[in-house]
Amino acid sequence: MLMLMFASAVYANSYEAPLPAELSTDPDLCAYVPCGDVIAGADSFSERKGKPTYVEAYRSKKGDHGKIDDHESNGDSQEGGNHHGDKNDDRELIGYVFLSTDIVDIPAYSGKPVVTLIGMDTKGIITGAKVLRHSEPILLLGIPEGELTKFIKQYVGKFVGDKIEIGKPREGQSYIGLDAITGATVTVVAQNQVMMRCGVQIARQVGILKPTIRPQAKFTELAKSPTWDDLVTEGGVQRLLVKREDVGLEATGTPYLDLWFGYLNQPTLGRAILGKSNYESLMTRLKPDEHAIFIIRTGGGESFKGSGFVRGGIYDRIQVAQEMDTFTFRDLDYLNLYGIEAAGAPAFNESAIFIIRSKSFSAAYPWKLVFLANKMDKSTGHRTFTSFDAESWLPDAYLQGGRPVVIVPEPTWLRIWKDKAWGIVAFTALLLLIGTVYAKRDWLVRRCTRKNKYWVDGFKYFGWIASIGFVGFAMMAQPSITQVLTWFHALLFHWEWELFLTDPFIFIFWWFIIITVFIWGRGLFCGWLCPFGSLSELLYKMGGWVGLKRFQFLLPERIHHQLKWLKYAIFYGLLAVSFFSMGLAEKLAEVEPFKTTFLVGIFNRAWPYTLFVAILLGLSIFTERPFCKYLCPLGAALAIPTTFRWFGLKRKPACTTCSACAKGCGSLAINPKGEIDQRECMLCLDCMVMYYDEHACPPLSQERKRRERAGLPLTPVGADGHYIPIMPLPAEEKR
Amino acid sequence: MSSSDLDPYRLPPYADSAHAWLLHEAVDHLWPWSQRGFRHHKWVLAIGLVLALAVSMVWVLAGLGRMTAGAVIGWWAGWSVFEIVIRMYSKPYIKEGPWWQRHYRPASIMDMLCYVSFKNLLVGAALFVGLKTLGLLQM
Ligand code: SF4
Ligand code: SF4
Repeated sequence: MLMLMFASAVYANSYEAPLPAELSTDPDLCAYVPCGDVIAGADSFSERKGKPTYVEAYRSKKGDHGKIDDHESNGDSQEGGNHHGDKNDDRELIGYVFLSTDIVDIPAYSGKPVVTLIGMDTKGIITGAKVLRHSEPILLLGIPEGELTKFIKQYVGKFVGDKIEIGKPREGQSYIGLDAITGATVTVVAQNQVMMRCGVQIARQVGILKPTIRPQAKFTELAKSPTWDDLVTEGGVQRLLVKREDVGLEATGTPYLDLWFGYLNQPTLGRAILGKSNYESLMTRLKPDEHAIFIIRTGGGESFKGSGFVRGGIYDRIQVAQEMDTFTFRDLDYLNLYGIEAAGAPAFNESAIFIIRSKSFSAAYPWKLVFLANKMDKSTGHRTFTSFDAESWLPDAYLQGGRPVVIVPEPTWLRIWKDKAWGIVAFTALLLLIGTVYAKRDWLVRRCTRKNKYWVDGFKYFGWIASIGFVGFAMMAQPSITQVLTWFHALLFHWEWELFLTDPFIFIFWWFIIITVFIWGRGLFCGWLCPFGSLSELLYKMGGWVGLKRFQFLLPERIHHQLKWLKYAIFYGLLAVSFFSMGLAEKLAEVEPFKTTFLVGIFNRAWPYTLFVAILLGLSIFTERPFCKYLCPLGAALAIPTTFRWFGLKRKPACTTCSACAKGCGSLAINPKGEIDQRECMLCLDCMVMYYDEHACPPLSQERKRRERAGLPLTPVGADGHYIPIMPLPAEEKR
Repeated sequence: MSSSDLDPYRLPPYADSAHAWLLHEAVDHLWPWSQRGFRHHKWVLAIGLVLALAVSMVWVLAGLGRMTAGAVIGWWAGWSVFEIVIRMYSKPYIKEGPWWQRHYRPASIMDMLCYVSFKNLLVGAALFVGLKTLGLLQM
């Protein structure tokens, strides 16, 4: 609760900020959001226009900067096109404002989009951007929301047609690099896509960006007449299926929309679909650079043409997209399609032929049919824009020379992996090294004694220092319970591997953690590699080295065994809260000091967080890992599967009565019966060193003394923790 | 309690036999009751059976698209708490060591809590994602 109180002091104000339900539908966008904030000098705005929608921003010419709401510009609201020089002479068009969620539905780390208002001038230069709402846990408290604002400000002054990416360009790469938000790479990568796509889409629509001119396809005429099934198999026709639940409606077993579509100019395809004479007549109507596609609806009750379609208007549910170019259809681009000639074609109840009139469309390259819809959020009743698409590309056989080579741009996550290749190699090597060292623990501990544990400690201290300096501070790859909660959320809303891949260190670390927890338990991560855990224990060791040993203490066992449950309660509490409110769970997860320590910096946060970390680290000097033992929800989450880890530590029957190991266990993980509680064990290996130490392990030491007294040789200590017995061989074998 | 305290009668049948390993393994994880447990703690186990039926119905309703995700999660969490109680009476052991082997140890309450919560997290996630993929669960 205390954390919550502190949290409210610095609570990010656009986190899950409620937005008016009408925001995504009302024609008057600027009545709901501060459009003026993203385009300086604008004093009036049009209603939403175009597809995807945007509003025009005007400045009064006669120095009259009073607000004039442009509610009368309804008439041409579907026009799109360039609106430089408006009909109203009293004001000039100075740019455009658009809402990201009207244009793209790219989820960020949380699985939900960052709703952003973007302003752009008439030359395509971004004039401003404002985050209206986000659901990013990391920006809730971990990283001040100001960082996101700062990040977004980097776009101001940039041309939307430029290639903008996150991170500094490497040699030979020609893009503008933006500074990422440290610790929130996934969020900014998603946001970059949002900013760029939105900018380009609107700039293309209003004519700022010229369309790409693509070489036109040259068709091969085949002698065969394919059936519908042939066309489906070859990919000549494609399907676009939208389920009811995809648009937030109750599932009824029937689709929302089931469309089949294809390209008609290709003679073999066109004849198969339309029949010879219809195809010829269609082709005579088309000018060069005009292309026909067909669409039929075979299932679902929703009209793809739109029930509210008016003459002269735009078909606002259907688009064709080729890379960043989109092609919309008006009434003049529509022709009736009465039947499908191909044998075996399905029955349909809605159909159309649409004409794409543009030089930039080419059937030689892949293109997509896009269905634009509104998705309803059941909990709020809000409608948000969403789109569904399916790709089509003429099969090789239908194109002279086959399909041209298409260079698919490298996915962002791959670029990040390449950029950080050396770091990734070093990090993976560190994990493999520590994993291998631990796998060879028997070899290591046999070379140590209670007083001389260099073999184990050497590797362990190396692991700690590397994890604090390299993993924690440099790579900021401190795993956190918030990631676990975020995955859960993403699983429910929108799981995207790509987004998780954009943080390579966390991605790799989690695979390592999951695998090693099942094999050996949480101890390998917690005890050897967790940056905060390592920092905490290193401080404890350093306290001892600088003479504070006499002040160092362990809590009495009774209190420890009660307090240790606290971390489990915190974990289960967070999990339960996350079912109701992810935001609240994320806030409460501030019980983890990781963000303050590694991501944001101890001195970059509000004082309560700094104080909290200072107390934990200060306490760590005097008692071993207080946070890990009693508070860490991540440690608790990992302790749960540790219950059934595959390989545990060795124990000998005499351990049940001897408590020597238990006394030396800094984690207080060994009970009076000599059993190890693997959930609490940090796999420090102290007890394993004892196990083989013939001078420190009381039962073994007694055995040694007995043997010495009896003049028996001291054979090596076996896996059972006792001297390997000398078995007299039978007489004949001896001979 | 140490492994030697483990009541041999309560071990799952396959602990000593190799055949039908997978089936028995599945039964052991999905069926928390045992005959012996029933003999001694009829009421707790009977209530558990009723609750199990109810929670199965909840999943069926979810499968029919008539249950929201939140309600399913709530029921599943509630059932998990009760499963811990049932198992502590019926099958108070958990696996020790590699899962493909047959070593068990007596379960403390915390062991059982960890086992049931983790197992049910996996079962729940599988059902949840399955139903969601089939488009049957309302989000
Ligand atoms: S208990 Fe938490 S802080 Fe400690 S080592 Fe484990 S994960 Fe890190
Ligand atoms: S002494 Fe043994 S039981 Fe205790 S933490 Fe170290 S390895 Fe685990």
